[in-house]
Amino acid sequence: MSKKSLILLFFIIPQCIWGQQPFVKDTLFADGDSVVVTATRTERKLSNITVPVTIINAKTIQQNGSLRLTDILKEQTGLNLTSGFGAGIQLQGLNPDYTIILINGEPLVGRTAGVLDLNRIALGNIKKIEIVKGPSSSLYGSEAMAGVINIITDATMGAPLTIGLRYGTYNTVDANLETKLNTKNFQYQGFVNSYNTDGYSIRPNSNSRVTTPIERYSTTQQIKWDLSRKTNFVLNTRYTNEQIQNEIAVSNNGVTIYSIGKENIKDLNASASVNHRFSKTLKTSLRTYTTTYDAVQNLLTINGLPYRDVLNHNFKRIENQTDWDLSKKLQAIFGAGAVWEGVKSSRYDSEKLRKQNDIQYAFTQWEWKASEKFTLIGGLRFDQNSQFASAFSPKMSMLYKIHPQHQFRFSIGQGFKAPDFRQLFLDFTNAAAGSYSVFGSAQAQQVIARLDALGQIGNLFPNYYLLKTLKPEYSNGMHFTWDWKINPSSALSLQLFRNDIKNLIESQQVGTYISGAQIYSYLNIGRAFTTGFELEGQHRFNTNWSVNGGYQFLSTGDKDQIAAIKSGTVYTKNSQGYSRLMKLNEYVGLPNTSKHKLQVKLNYNSPKGYYLNLRAIYRSRWAVNNNNGNEVFDNGDVFASGYLAINSAAGKTFENGVSLQGGIDNISNYIDATNLPNLPGRTFYASIKYQLQKITNKK
Amino acid sequence: MRKNLTKIAMGLVLSIALFACTKDEETIVVPVGAFTVADLAADTVTGLGPDGRPQSAGTTTYYSLVDNKVIAATDAASTKWDIAFSSTKILINGGTSGPGMGGAFVYVGLYDALKTIPADSSFATDNATAASYAIPWGSGKAWYTYDGLTTLVSPIAGRVLVIRTATGKFAKIEILNYYKGGVTLPATASVSDKLYKQRYYTFRYAYQPNGSKIF
Repeated sequence: MSKKSLILLFFIIPQCIWGQQPFVKDTLFADGDSVVVTATRTERKLSNITVPVTIINAKTIQQNGSLRLTDILKEQTGLNLTSGFGAGIQLQGLNPDYTIILINGEPLVGRTAGVLDLNRIALGNIKKIEIVKGPSSSLYGSEAMAGVINIITDATMGAPLTIGLRYGTYNTVDANLETKLNTKNFQYQGFVNSYNTDGYSIRPNSNSRVTTPIERYSTTQQIKWDLSRKTNFVLNTRYTNEQIQNEIAVSNNGVTIYSIGKENIKDLNASASVNHRFSKTLKTSLRTYTTTYDAVQNLLTINGLPYRDVLNHNFKRIENQTDWDLSKKLQAIFGAGAVWEGVKSSRYDSEKLRKQNDIQYAFTQWEWKASEKFTLIGGLRFDQNSQFASAFSPKMSMLYKIHPQHQFRFSIGQGFKAPDFRQLFLDFTNAAAGSYSVFGSAQAQQVIARLDALGQIGNLFPNYYLLKTLKPEYSNGMHFTWDWKINPSSALSLQLFRNDIKNLIESQQVGTYISGAQIYSYLNIGRAFTTGFELEGQHRFNTNWSVNGGYQFLSTGDKDQIAAIKSGTVYTKNSQGYSRLMKLNEYVGLPNTSKHKLQVKLNYNSPKGYYLNLRAIYRSRWAVNNNNGNEVFDNGDVFASGYLAINSAAGKTFENGVSLQGGIDNISNYIDATNLPNLPGRTFYASIKYQLQKITNKK
Repeated sequence: MRKNLTKIAMGLVLSIALFACTKDEETIVVPVGAFTVADLAADTVTGLGPDGRPQSAGTTTYYSLVDNKVIAATDAASTKWDIAFSSTKILINGGTSGPGMGGAFVYVGLYDALKTIPADSSFATDNATAASYAIPWGSGKAWYTYDGLTTLVSPIAGRVLVIRTATGKFAKIEILNYYKGGVTLPATASVSDKLYKQRYYTFRYAYQPNGSKIF
């Protein structure tokens, strides 16, 4: 379906109460006509997609009262929020490092310890979010190991002017301004968001806030310009500026150091693309993208010592993608590109030296529609890296519409995550905690040899001699989905998944200083798995009421630890402190993973524009700390308790374009300051939005 | 020094002969002492210093495995004691720590499974000047791990401290706990509890008085 016919569709459909895109539906409500771009890097109807995809549309985001990307993602099946180094997202049990976050198809950078803080992303102007589960490195390269989250904005439709203001607990003020200009050949969308909060303190008797006062500004601009009937030009820019007031208490070896200061984060993304259609069967696009993430933290400790932490990450890419429909049944995509990526950080040997990695890559994907019922897609990608071993990512997926009410999807693929700059170049000595050092693998041997020549090295461990060029971490993922449309108002979907990860990069002690202080570096050693199932369902009671929900069962494990338990070399302690052999059934898997996650959402939507929703999210306990004397997580360790959060929002949209909303998050006021710093207690908000009705109607 | 020593008789005096006689008539009549010591204070915390570190008097608690009792610090330079504790540091009566024949090594495995000290075991001695101890001192090195996040000390499972006493006899020790009352504090415990309830050792040990390496 071309964009033009979509636009046409928009004007044919009677005035939508939201002025939003009526054809973008949530996955479960979708009739199959929703368009997905992330799964195949080309526009495909959801009903023809061969891999598991979740679509979250603008209406859901608005009705849920979601402001930041984290707000909406944590209410999705199979996704959990993580804390520490910002709010990241865990997808099917894999850490935030393993999910690539795209905005209009271009990756965001600026991860701290592998985590990209998703609070950076405002949701005010987005059209939809697409989540692809399963390794997708065959299309997107590094980081697309657990899946892909693509945030899509669109200038082509909507009201010419939208103003929104929201006020909530902790003096949280969120203001939006969005303008759109649509002419025949030219579309423009401009969006400005400002977010201010006092932050909150949920730790009793503490002056250090869990979430600190924040001022965030972000703006995005999008231009789509049809140069001719066959050629168009798209420009996207995004800029975020964040000021965070820090009041930090850091404990190391029982020494608590209080510091105050500011953290400033600037994030700039710009992409430009030229798309040309040679014929009905051949089109190509040339994309350029540049992004810079700049974080500076300046602190003053209570004893007057300055502390400075700097991270500057930039990423430039040029890419061509050509789509060629060889026949009605066979469609091919070819792509190639080059990336220049560099990082400067105060945690490397010098804050002024840029560490650089260049990547060249090529990919192809072939889609064969064997029949109306059966589609097969095969793809592969090769990434050549200057700093570490290259990666080859194949993927195969298929769709079988066995019956009008039943369809099956199966995908198998290999994903990878390149070693990050920290694992390659970190040069960090913690003077506060025993002067241990961590050296990135790219220079560890060199640095340690130099220290050895100076007589500073005490011992070198066997691991030191194993240090070599890091290989990417690999995951082999398998996903099987069964969609069942029970009747026009009910649907069920069952997904089985398994990811096997090898070459996990872990920090290991490689030696000691003369003083006995440890020296660490990174090696490819770990092997792990995550497996389980997701069950999603929806039911529409009548035109007003509907319910939908999802459950995920997750089982994870470190394969080497499991092997050690089986071989009888892992011990644990009983309540008296006596050691005994650990049994396999006591093993609980990887930390921070929950066995069960359930969410249920009850919706009310009236034809008059009233709506109400009630969302319950339950997550079962997860292991956070080892405290019973082995390196393995078992039932005797420290767990964060399972919890239930209930959120609700209600509102009304008036015919004149005004809409009102009120909401309560975390109604039961569940608080766990240690393990859920991102979950404040009960919060209230109210918002007002005005959408200028379309003046021009050029049907 | 508060003596809060509980003698739990886990077969207070075990005679190997009791077991041996059922098999054959070889009689090794050796009583091996099995003891549990609870809440042995080891340089307990007196307050919080201006640098944020816990403060203490810097004392060492000396202990005789032979007599199962605390030895006065004034006897530090004698062979009356076998093992000594000062916060997480454990000393043996040998090398730079004392005049005895003491030595030690850390055995990885279960306490009960260690019935005979392997013949090829090598016992290390303390060398404080080189910061090298028979029972290595530091998180993850011998018997405990320290978690910087929770600021808690946990004994490592499956670690037995094999001790050569001041007089050259052998003993095996399992550290059971580092907190008062023998229960590791929860991660959420108050700062004050974490400060003042630490440095109380609970451990069990077996002592072989006949000089053999069999327990």
